[in-house]
Amino acid sequence: MSGRRGRRWVHLLTYAVLAPAAVVTLVPFAWLLTSAFKAPQEFFGSMFLPRGDGFLGVAWDRLTTGNLTRLFRELSIGRAMLNSLFLSSVTSVLATLCCAAGGYALAMYRFRGRRVLTWVVLGALIVPPPLLLAPGYQVLYRLGLLDTYSGLILPAMAPAFGVFLFRQASLQSVPPQLLEAGRLDGCSEAGLFGRIALPLLRPMTGAFLLITFLGVWNNFIGPQIVLQSPEKQPLAVAIAQLKGVYYEDYGLLMAGTLVSIAPVAGLFLLLQKDFVSGLTLGAVK
Amino acid sequence: MAQDREQPIAVARAFALRWPGWLAWLSPGGWVIAAIAVGTTVVVVGGGSARPSGEVRMWTFAPPHARMYEPLLEQWASEPDGRRVDLEVLSLPALERRMLGGFLSGVPVADLIEAERRVASRAFAGPLDAVGFLDLTDRLREDGLLDAINPASFSPWTFRGRIFGLPHDVHPVMLCYRADLVEAAGIDVSTIETWDDFARVMRPLMADGDGDGEPDRYLIAFWTTFPDQLEALILQAGDGFFDEEDHLRIATPTNARVVASLAGWIAGPGRIAADVPEFNAAGNKQKIDGYVVAAIMPDWLSNIWRQQMPELAGKLKLMPLPAWEPGGRRTSVWGGTMLGIPRTAEDPDRLWELAKRLYLSPELSRALYEEGDIVTPVKANWSDPIYDRPDPYFSGQAKGRMYLDLAPQVPRRTSSPFNTMAMQRVQDALVGLVELLRDRPGTDRATLESRAMDLLRVAEADVRSRMDRNVFARGETP
Amino acid sequence: MTARARVGLAPYLFLLPFLVVFGVFVLAPLGESVVLSTRQMFGPGASVFVGLDNFRFLLHDPLFYKAVRNTLVFTAGSVFIQLPLALGLAMLLNRPGLRGRYVLRLVFFSPQLVGLVFLAVMTSVIFQKRTGVLNQALHALVGVSLDYPWLERQIMPTLILAALWMYVGFNMIYFLAALQNVDRELTEAASIDGAGPGRRFLAVTLPAIAPVGGFVVLLSILGSLQLFELPYILLTGSGPDNKGLTIVTYLYQSGFETGDLGYASAIGWVLAILLAALAVGQRLLAREARA
Repeated sequence: MSGRRGRRWVHLLTYAVLAPAAVVTLVPFAWLLTSAFKAPQEFFGSMFLPRGDGFLGVAWDRLTTGNLTRLFRELSIGRAMLNSLFLSSVTSVLATLCCAAGGYALAMYRFRGRRVLTWVVLGALIVPPPLLLAPGYQVLYRLGLLDTYSGLILPAMAPAFGVFLFRQASLQSVPPQLLEAGRLDGCSEAGLFGRIALPLLRPMTGAFLLITFLGVWNNFIGPQIVLQSPEKQPLAVAIAQLKGVYYEDYGLLMAGTLVSIAPVAGLFLLLQKDFVSGLTLGAVK
Repeated sequence: MAQDREQPIAVARAFALRWPGWLAWLSPGGWVIAAIAVGTTVVVVGGGSARPSGEVRMWTFAPPHARMYEPLLEQWASEPDGRRVDLEVLSLPALERRMLGGFLSGVPVADLIEAERRVASRAFAGPLDAVGFLDLTDRLREDGLLDAINPASFSPWTFRGRIFGLPHDVHPVMLCYRADLVEAAGIDVSTIETWDDFARVMRPLMADGDGDGEPDRYLIAFWTTFPDQLEALILQAGDGFFDEEDHLRIATPTNARVVASLAGWIAGPGRIAADVPEFNAAGNKQKIDGYVVAAIMPDWLSNIWRQQMPELAGKLKLMPLPAWEPGGRRTSVWGGTMLGIPRTAEDPDRLWELAKRLYLSPELSRALYEEGDIVTPVKANWSDPIYDRPDPYFSGQAKGRMYLDLAPQVPRRTSSPFNTMAMQRVQDALVGLVELLRDRPGTDRATLESRAMDLLRVAEADVRSRMDRNVFARGETP
Repeated sequence: MTARARVGLAPYLFLLPFLVVFGVFVLAPLGESVVLSTRQMFGPGASVFVGLDNFRFLLHDPLFYKAVRNTLVFTAGSVFIQLPLALGLAMLLNRPGLRGRYVLRLVFFSPQLVGLVFLAVMTSVIFQKRTGVLNQALHALVGVSLDYPWLERQIMPTLILAALWMYVGFNMIYFLAALQNVDRELTEAASIDGAGPGRRFLAVTLPAIAPVGGFVVLLSILGSLQLFELPYILLTGSGPDNKGLTIVTYLYQSGFETGDLGYASAIGWVLAILLAALAVGQRLLAREARA
C-alpha cells in the first residue's frame, strides 16, 4: 500500500462494506414505514409498496392512512403518549440524579462502608429482574403503590447499573484536586457536586438520561402488572396489546410503532453526541 | 495515567463552566427531557383522574365480550339493587400476569374475572382452599344450574370436585372445508366417516398442477406447531392427557395411535397436512389461495374467519369432524372461558346475581351467537330460532344448529394447570415422530405406533416428575 | 488517586436516595426470594418449607439444562459474532477522513429506538416459511425449499440474528469510544516499521481497547445470559420442543405461569451464582492482564 492511491482504495473498500450494512439496518425501517400505510389485505401482497401504474410504478392509491386514523380514533393513543412521555422523562431525570449522586459519592469520597457498597452495586448487576417480580409485587402492594405511577417510577429510580456507570465516569473525569480547591474556597459539598461534578459528568448524564428514557419508553411488562387503570397505560402497553391473541393487525401495529418511534428518535438526535462520549466514560476500567 | 495530561484542560473547562451556572448541569437534550418531565407532570398530576371509579370491577380479555356486556351492565347499574361496573379489557397475557400476581401475593384483584381456560387453570395449582376463585358448587346446585348447562362445559373449571366458574361456552369443533373445491372435484363428503375416509376421499384434490413435484394444495391445516389442534384431536379420540380424576395419563394406546397418525399427516408417505396457521395474515392468505382444503373449526373460530377472510364467503361448508374410528366421536372442543368471582371480592351474593344475569340471559346467548358465532352452554336458550338461520358465509348452512347438535358429545376436559405442560410434551413427541418419518420414510405403522408409545411415556414421565414435586398436586394438605 | 476527602455525612447523603430505593425495591424482595427458594408455595395460604428440594430438583431437571444450553448458544453468538462485527464496524467508521461517519453512526444505532414487539413481528415476518422474505429470497436465488422452518429448527440462530440487528450498533458505539484511546502515532510508527494490518491490530489496537473491550464482553455476557423478552415475545413462550427456552424464560414460566414461585426463585439464584462467578472471573482476568 503506497501513498494516496492506496488510501483511496481502502476508502472505497470501507464504503463497500459499510453501505450494505447500513442498508440492511435500514430496510426494516422502510418496511415499517410502508406497512403502516397498507390495508390488511395488502400486507403480504408486496414487500414495500404495492406495484401499479402510478408514479414510479407504485399503486399510490392503494395506500391508506386508515391505520393511523384508527390508531387515534379507536385507541386513546394521545393519552397513552402523554403517559409515556411522563413516565419516561420523570423516571430518567430522577434515576439520573440518584445515580449521579450515588456514583459520585462512591468515586470521590473515602468513608466507612465504601468498599461494601461498591460491591453491592456490582453485585446488583447480576440479579435477574424477573427474580424480583413476585416479591416486588408484594412490596408494591404493601406500600399501596399498585395502580399508581409511583409504583413504576420509584423502583426504577436507582438502577445499580447507573450508579456503577457514574462511579466510573467520576473516577475518569472529576479530578479530586479540583474538589479540594473548591473546598478551600469554601464551597459546600452539595455545591461541589452541582458546580464542578455535574458539568464534568454532563456527557454521562446525557447518555444515561437517554438510555433510561428508551428503556422506560419501550417497557410494557412492568406497566401491565403495576398499572391497572386503562387510562394510565403508556404507549408500549397499547402497542403490545395490538399484537392480539386471535389476530395480528399488522398495519395497526406498524402505525403504532411508527408513532412511538418518532419522539424517541427526536431525543436521540438531540442527545447522540453526549451519548457517545458518555459511554466512553462509563466503559473505562 | 492519561488523566494527568488532561487535567489542566479539565480544570480550565470546569471553571469556565461556572459562568453559565446551573445551565451547565445538562446538555441541551438533557434539558429537553427535564422540560418534558416538568411539563407532563403538571398535566398528568394536575389533570387528576377524570373517571369516577365504579363499585364493581370486572376484567375480560375479549373486546367483543365487552361490547355485548355493556348494555346489560348499564341496565343493572340503573336498578335499585345494581351497582356501577367498571369493565376493563386486558390482553390475555396481561390478565394472566395480574390475576396470578394477585392470587400468589394475596393482593386483591377485580371483583369478577372472565378467564380463558389456560389462564384459569393457573388458579388450580395449590390446595383447594388456596384457589383464588370462590367455590360456586353449592350456589350452582341450589339454583339448579348443574343440569341447566351443558355438563362438559363445567369440566375445565372443576377442581377436586368443586366448580369455580360459570361456563361461558361449549366450543364444539367441526371440520370446515372448501365446498367450492370439493364440489368442483365431484367429491361427496357424506361418504366420509373417519379420518382415513377423509384422506382417501379427498386425495384427488392434492394434484400437482404446476409440475414442481409437490402438490399444489394439501387437505388439512395442521402442523407440529399447532398445540391447540393437537389437543382437540387427542381429546376427540377419548383419552386426553388426564383421566376423570385429573390423574395424568398420556401414554395410552389410543393417544399413541392418534399421534402416530398425525405424524403421518405431516411427514408420512400419504402426507395430507400443511402448515397454515390461524390468526395470522400469512396463513389467511394461504387459505384464501386454496392451499389447504380443510381446517379444524370450533364455533368461535368461524367468527374470526368471517372477519378476517370475507373473500371466502359462500365457498365454505362445515361438517362434523371425521372420527378416529367407525362409530367414534364426531366432534371435540377447543378453547373456553369462564366467569369467576375472586375470593377477595366483597359482597359475593350480589356478584353471583350479576354473573348469572350476564351468562344465563337469553339476550346474551343470542348476542353471543349473532356477534361472536358462539353457541351458549345454557340448554334453555338452545331453542332460539336464531341457531337455525342459514349462514351465507358457510354456503347457507344452519351452522348454529349443527354446532348445538354436537354439544352433548363434546369431551370433558381437565382443569389441571399441568395440562399446558402435558400438551407441550406431547407436541415434542409429535416432533420426534415427524423427525423419525423424515429420516426413515419407510417406517411401518406398527413401528411408528410403538415409537409413539415410547415417546409418550417419556412425555408422561417428565410431566409426572413435575407434578410429583408439587406437594399440593400430591393431594397432601400441608 | 491521592487525597480523597473525609467529609462527614456528605457521601451518605449523596447515596441516600439510591440506598433507600435499592433497599426497599431490590434488597428486600431479594431477601424474600431466598426464603421463597426453600419453600413450595401457592398463594399466601399455602406455603410449605421444602429445604433444598427446589435446588435438588433443578440439578436433575432436563428442561433447565436445555435452557442453559440454549442460553449459552445465544451468549456465544453475542460474544463471537455480534461483538466482532461491532468492533469491525467501529474500526471502519473510525478511519480518518471518512465522510458521513455521523450519519452512519446514527444509522447503526437506530434499531435501539424500536421496541421488542416490533422486532418480534419483523422477525416472524422475515423468517416465516412460505410467505417469509428470507425463504422467498433463498428460493429465488438458490432454490431452497420455501418451507424451510427457521422458527422451528433454527430458533437460536434466528434469535442471534434478530439481536444482532438490534444491538450491534450499541456495542459499536462502545468500541468506537474505545478506539479513541488508540495512539495514532504508534499505529503510524508500526506501519512504517513494516507491520501489516493484522500485526498492527494485535500489537497496537487490541491492547489499547482491551479495558473497554473487557467491559463490553462482560456486559454482553451478563445481558445475554439474562435473555428473556425477545424470545418470549417472538415465540409467545419457548417455541416448539422448547428450542427457544432460556434460563430467564424458564424462571418466568415457572413463577408466573406454573405458579411455582419457590422453583422460580431457585432458578434465579442458580443463575445469579453463575453470573457472579463469570463476573468475578472476568475481573480477575482483567487484573491479571493489567499486572
